[in-house]
Amino acid sequence: MNAIEIKNLNKNYHDFQLKNVSFNVPKGSIVGFIGENGAGKTTTLKAILNLINRDNGIIEILGMDNTKEEKKTKEDIGVVLDGCNFHDSLKTGDISKMMASIYKNWNLSAFQRYLKKFELPENKTVKEYSRGMKMKLQIAVALSHDPKVLILDEATSGLDPIVREEMLDVFMEFIQDEEHAILISSHITSDLDKIADYIVFIHQGEILLNEEKETLLEGMGILKCSEDDFRKLDKEEYIRYRKNQFGFEVLINDKLALKKKYKEAIVDGVTIEEIMLFYVRGER
Amino acid sequence: MKGLILKDLINLKKSMKTLGIMLIAFAVLYIPMGNESFLSGMVVLMFAMMVITTMSYDDMAKWDTYALTMPISRKEVVLSKYLLLLMLDLTGVVLALVLAFVGSFFTGTGITVETLMSIFIVLMIAVIFGSVLIPMIYKFGTEKARLMIILCAAVPTAVVLGLAQLNIPFPAIDNEETVFGIIMIAMALISLVIFFASYFISVKIYQKKEF
Repeated sequence: MNAIEIKNLNKNYHDFQLKNVSFNVPKGSIVGFIGENGAGKTTTLKAILNLINRDNGIIEILGMDNTKEEKKTKEDIGVVLDGCNFHDSLKTGDISKMMASIYKNWNLSAFQRYLKKFELPENKTVKEYSRGMKMKLQIAVALSHDPKVLILDEATSGLDPIVREEMLDVFMEFIQDEEHAILISSHITSDLDKIADYIVFIHQGEILLNEEKETLLEGMGILKCSEDDFRKLDKEEYIRYRKNQFGFEVLINDKLALKKKYKEAIVDGVTIEEIMLFYVRGER
Repeated sequence: MKGLILKDLINLKKSMKTLGIMLIAFAVLYIPMGNESFLSGMVVLMFAMMVITTMSYDDMAKWDTYALTMPISRKEVVLSKYLLLLMLDLTGVVLALVLAFVGSFFTGTGITVETLMSIFIVLMIAVIFGSVLIPMIYKFGTEKARLMIILCAAVPTAVVLGLAQLNIPFPAIDNEETVFGIIMIAMALISLVIFFASYFISVKIYQKKEF
């Protein structure tokens, strides 16, 4: 069962377009949504939240159409956008009062628990919060109305490594409930190396890659070789290659098969960041 | 939606305080001069302006994008601003009445019909003012709308001043009460119509908006 299903989403801007974006966020999983700035991550997330008018395509959240049953679906979604959206003069108590009249399931004690856990002072205004505290506040609010789906747009950027790790733990905990799911966009791909179950990679408005993370990391590899060796490879054996002054670096599909074929080949493991770089900057 | 209005009121707390101090200062200055109707008028307009203040606060926090990720419809976001406008206008009127009362107590004249009428007229001006500005802000954003706010204030002022130059007699209260009454009712109706029309236009604009 999927928490979010996107089918053939299209959106035209005059200088950019989303082209037939389709992917799912299965329940009980974290989907890492990666891509460069301007690749279409935020536009896709906005379409899921119905903040923009799409040209066509269907988006279902927990089995409900996100435009027809907008209010109902939004009760179940927790959202953190890039940056802080609370006004400078608000305090956590004000925010809680406000949210209690917006969300049916607003949970004051859960909110206070998160405030304590994240060490967010209740007597300061948002203006006095540091950037990291603001982000933590957004995350606390997103978690405190018993959501089933979290949509996080760059929710960990701007946090120091220690706080980031703390937030990743919170997300992992959230996902322990098999009914829950997270869609997280980030360009801090090391975070996704740690927590994502699936990777969806968008480039120039198109989904280039949509795969289980383990499959990707176990299958793909980077072959370092000379130009002569590179010429021996079949087109199907590699995805992209990059040339540098020491020779060739080649992103390959199936490192085990390659090792079998070329016993002496040096094949390294790969990270999500490297996959991204190869796809965007490498050559076919 | 209650939450949205609550948020605006909390955000306005600080401006309310500043406004309160200003009011006291003006009251001390103007009431002895017997100028409480001017003061009352200013109070109502200042309160009406606060809707615009909340909208620029929302803009700064990129609040609307976030609010629409919550179970709040676009209509409700717009409606909350119009309700806030009414609430602020009425608060302004109540305060203006209090000031007029206090003023009349000091000057010993009692509240004059003239003062009550001027408060009523200013209330309608405030409603129209807000009704023109809210859709403009939704359409053009607070930054661009700022210039228009000035225009909005300048145009009616210029018209009134122009009319004054032409020496057209302003309807006097004592000799033509019925005519004046009709003008008042007509104005009230016009401002109501503008208010509702403005709401529907704003909803239209806001529903098409992309965030």
